[in-house]
Amino acid sequence: MSVEIDTRPIWLILSLKALRPAFFIALGLLFWFLISMPTPDGLTIAGQRAIAVFAVCLILWVSNMVPLAITSLFAIVLVPLFGVLSKKDTYALFGNEAVFFILGAFILAGAIMHSGLSNRIALNIMERFGDSPRKLLLSIFLLAAALSFFMSEHAVAAMLFPIVFDISKGLNLRPGKSNYGKLLFFALAWGCVIGGVGTFLGGARVPLAIGILKETTGHTIEFLDYTIAVLPLVVVMLLVGYFLLTRFFPIDVAGVESAHQVLVKRLKTLGKMSYNEYAVGTVLGITILGWIFLGKDAGLATVALVSVVVLFVLKLVRWKDIEEYVNWGIILMYGGAIILGTALDKSGAAGWLVNSAIGSWATTPWTVFAVFSLLSIFLTEAISNAAVIAILLPVSIGMAESLSLDPAIVTYSIAVPAGLAFMLPMSTPANAIAVSSNYISVKDMAKGGLIMCLTAWVVFNLMAAFYWPLIGMGYSK
Amino acid sequence: MKKVLLVLSTSGTSAAAIDYAVKRAKDEKAALVALYVLETGLANEVFDTFSDIGFIGEKPSMELSESIMKEYRQRGYEELGRVQVKAMEEAVGFEPLMEQGDFVKKVLEMIKKTDAFVAVLVKRKKSQIFKYFSRSLADEVKENAPCEVVLFTEE
Repeated sequence: MSVEIDTRPIWLILSLKALRPAFFIALGLLFWFLISMPTPDGLTIAGQRAIAVFAVCLILWVSNMVPLAITSLFAIVLVPLFGVLSKKDTYALFGNEAVFFILGAFILAGAIMHSGLSNRIALNIMERFGDSPRKLLLSIFLLAAALSFFMSEHAVAAMLFPIVFDISKGLNLRPGKSNYGKLLFFALAWGCVIGGVGTFLGGARVPLAIGILKETTGHTIEFLDYTIAVLPLVVVMLLVGYFLLTRFFPIDVAGVESAHQVLVKRLKTLGKMSYNEYAVGTVLGITILGWIFLGKDAGLATVALVSVVVLFVLKLVRWKDIEEYVNWGIILMYGGAIILGTALDKSGAAGWLVNSAIGSWATTPWTVFAVFSLLSIFLTEAISNAAVIAILLPVSIGMAESLSLDPAIVTYSIAVPAGLAFMLPMSTPANAIAVSSNYISVKDMAKGGLIMCLTAWVVFNLMAAFYWPLIGMGYSK
Repeated sequence: MKKVLLVLSTSGTSAAAIDYAVKRAKDEKAALVALYVLETGLANEVFDTFSDIGFIGEKPSMELSESIMKEYRQRGYEELGRVQVKAMEEAVGFEPLMEQGDFVKKVLEMIKKTDAFVAVLVKRKKSQIFKYFSRSLADEVKENAPCEVVLFTEE
């Protein structure tokens, strides 16, 4: 029993209450200071203003004071307003292929979820292979990763969470106490995170990075090339993740029969596979083949949008269904991020930032790769992975140009680690939901996540140094 | 009849708080009202994270937060069941309540409604630095409650 009085100083209590308005006033003043200070040598006025907009967006993305998409809206408004890019150029960037590819991929993922196909696949795999504690754990881990190859990792986490919840309840696992409970939710979260970096479809960050790369340099990365380059990392991280989890939290259940019954019951409620499930699955399969074989000529966005049209022509989805599964803020977020990246590049601000702030230490290609990948992997723990790309990529591409590095390689150095958020619940929705289950504490996640982050960074850098040259990729142009 | 209000929630639990509330009710010849507050904050946060960061649509995000609330409700029933067993063992009158919403608001409402003379709350463990910058919800209840408030730290 204790009596506690708020003994904090009155100024602190008052300032905590006035934090939000004060924050925005300070942000406005900072922006004003940055655009009205004397223009530094080597920087154009447009570049100075682009940096001011960049600083505002950086602070808002990091602080999360407004939704991410609204921060992008700031960029969309401020860039033409302060003459960094013309109105026409700014809004034309919304027509960027990456934005439409992301949109198409999210609509496809929505259709798969709506049809129930993804749910059926998940339940079938778990029911078929999860007949022992170890196998059930592995099937959740690998399933989360494999599904995240084909649809947004966030959607996979949302879909699998209720199933894993039911399994843990079926097994009578005590929240916060049961090792197996922790393992199941870690497997769900980390499986999604690791699998999410395997293809363009795991999240919107890679298409966004490629959109910025294309707008600023004209270079691009093909669908299959990306997966071939990244797959070893995914495999190694799945092995490391499984090893680490089972060492940290030894399995403490003898059998999973009751979980099996939960899965059987859930499968029974699904009934027979419907025409919609077959058809949506076929459309997705053909779309993936289209991205692999036609992506270069027809364009990834075109293939995605053709598939979306087919879904509607075959009446596999209704517009209302898609509206429920896709958050349209995505267009603002990614459109705004591409506008910001392009504004920094075209105004010369990215090049100036590179020369004045980073140029002195980044002298060798591998240093640039190592430092940017490290920044990306740790920054993504605190802020959204799309924001990490919007912040780091324009600068790193500027650096690539000044050091004759292949800008596509630099894009990998940011885009891949930006997806590897293992440590904190705010890093990515999959982690947030795992912690919300109460089976995992933030401390559990931070401890294991730190090891995963460092391992992923080392493996990624080793892969770039030793594996990529074997498939024709190198640091230099 | 006098009432002791024991407040439990999704944030944490404490066997010491339950024992204390049952004993206090027995000693004071009062009835024990056990209130389980389903805090919507966490489920809302999950909804926002999926919606704002993951750009997942309203339906799956909503289903997700509903699934979390369903689980919390189940845990609430189990927790209230445990308190009921303790109260029955000590022959203390027992009334279970479950409410959903803002923790502070709900607890203050129920203190008023039940006319409890003492409220027993569980507060979250926090590091010193967090204690300095943010107060616990239990502290806020204590500050505004019209009755005695006894705090325990979660186990």
